[in-house]
Amino acid sequence: MLYRLWYYVRETLVSLWRNLSLTLAAILTVAISLSLVGASLLIREGAARATAQFQEGVEFIVFMVADASPEQDAAIRNVLDSSPAVSGYTYVDKAAAYEEFQRLFADKPELIESVTPAVMPPSYRIVPANPDAGNVAEMARQFGEQPGVKEVATATEAIRQIEDFSTRVSQALLVAAVVLVGVSTLLILNTVFTAIGARRQEIEVMKLVGATNWFIRIPFMLEGTIHGLAGAALAIPALYVVDSQVLAYFQESDAVPLFRGFAVPDGFVWDTSIWLLVIGGLVGMIGSAVAVTRFTDV
Amino acid sequence: MIKLEGVSKIFKGDVVALKNATAEIQRGEFVFLVGPSGSGKSTFIRLLNREEIADEGRIMVAGKDLSSLSSWKVPYLRRNIGYIFQDYKLLPKKTVYENVAFGLEVIGRPRQVIRQQVPAILELVGLARKAERLPDELSGGEKQRVSIARAFVNRPMILLADEPTGNLDPGTSVGIMRLLDRINRSGTTVVMATHDRGVVDTMRRRVIELDRGVITRDESRGVYE
Ligand SMILES: Nc1ncnc2c1ncn2[C@@H]1O[C@H](COP(=O)(O)OP(=O)(O)OP(=O)(O)O)[C@@H](O)[C@H]1O
Ligand SMILES: [Mg+2]
Repeated sequence: MLYRLWYYVRETLVSLWRNLSLTLAAILTVAISLSLVGASLLIREGAARATAQFQEGVEFIVFMVADASPEQDAAIRNVLDSSPAVSGYTYVDKAAAYEEFQRLFADKPELIESVTPAVMPPSYRIVPANPDAGNVAEMARQFGEQPGVKEVATATEAIRQIEDFSTRVSQALLVAAVVLVGVSTLLILNTVFTAIGARRQEIEVMKLVGATNWFIRIPFMLEGTIHGLAGAALAIPALYVVDSQVLAYFQESDAVPLFRGFAVPDGFVWDTSIWLLVIGGLVGMIGSAVAVTRFTDV
Repeated sequence: MIKLEGVSKIFKGDVVALKNATAEIQRGEFVFLVGPSGSGKSTFIRLLNREEIADEGRIMVAGKDLSSLSSWKVPYLRRNIGYIFQDYKLLPKKTVYENVAFGLEVIGRPRQVIRQQVPAILELVGLARKAERLPDELSGGEKQRVSIARAFVNRPMILLADEPTGNLDPGTSVGIMRLLDRINRSGTTVVMATHDRGVVDTMRRRVIELDRGVITRDESRGVYE
């Protein structure tokens, strides 16, 4: 059994080495396409988090002071319920605000420790009937003057721009990535095909003496899978670069108010890395499986 | 051991390679297949190894009906069948030893079995001292001995040979035929396609003659013509 394992490993390595230039091309293509996939996922997640509180038509948020009285609260609620200018709102209480804070800053435990639910400001997230910027600003001003209101945050032009920009960038990256993943699959197929061609004689003899199809195929499938995994492994450092450079760039810009960071927790980067490995492995396996079933049949 | 009943093989373009062939070959027999070029000798042999599938009729090999044998079982059938060729089909980058060992390695035989059997079979074919040579460093006769060693190292019940002396001079052919005869006497059934009149006439074994895919003669102790 161990001997057979050694056989597979040896044959696979020999084949990879013989085919070095194509192997490198396949690995690099996988690496580039998976880097794009990863970057796209990170930017999307970052943007979603940065604008988490401003989704589904919410244009401004009324933060109450943490110790607002029930009367002050009722007054605001009364306006919201009766005003025709307000088409909808959700109330986020202290507990929910704290929960959201924990989620958004999952990778900054020291920040989470510094707050308690008690100090979190409850807030109203408001969907205005007319989302026109001038109107929103006017409504925000009016709410800001009410007693018990700490602050009103509007979905500024900057936030909308971030949303637009990140959506466009991540979609463009994703399209490029999908095309390149297709190209990688074809390249792996071609590389494995070449490897099979280089060993035609051996395969012929193997069939004659009664080697099973799987015995013949496994080294080639391992080869393709290694292409995919190696490419994914190269894409993972790129993912961390995107996280530390690109996302950090957005974080440092002043565009994003309050505590909405354009950051993704390390856990997400980690999960994305795993996904890249899975995609890479699958791309390699599929490419080589097509090659072996088409070109090594009895 | 081998049985054909009304076997036909027609290639595309209505090329009739074998037509209604019926024959039975017993365990331990030595059979020559003779006939002009294109008469179907190679097709006959390839059918036995299930490299080709019969269009009509039934073929039994080693107790298995080849027409109903599922394709995943074919490798196991082939482990019972040694196969040698006019052009040897040796792997040029492997040594004599490695070429023979390869045949065992790829059917998953344990390493100690390989270490034991390969030297023994090289001894049998008379190449023990050339184990580390590459095929390019061997004569035609020696190459054919390597290919016989590879085909026989797993002690198959049947040995198929397609013109094994086709590239060899008469003197060398005699040596190869001695070796095949010896293998046959150890109980292995041998089926050999050949154009080699001298070989057939000196061996005086069973002869099956084909002409345009039809069996026209089947004699025990026959001659070439
Ligand atoms: N794969 C194939 N596809 C189409 N026709 C084939 C194929 N293999 C063999 N034939 C045809 O079948 C016929 C018999 O061929 P076969 O190779 O069995 O003859 P043979 O007796 O071995 O000839 P030779 O003595 O030249 O080796 C020939 O007409 C050949 O052209
Ligand atoms: Mg022939």
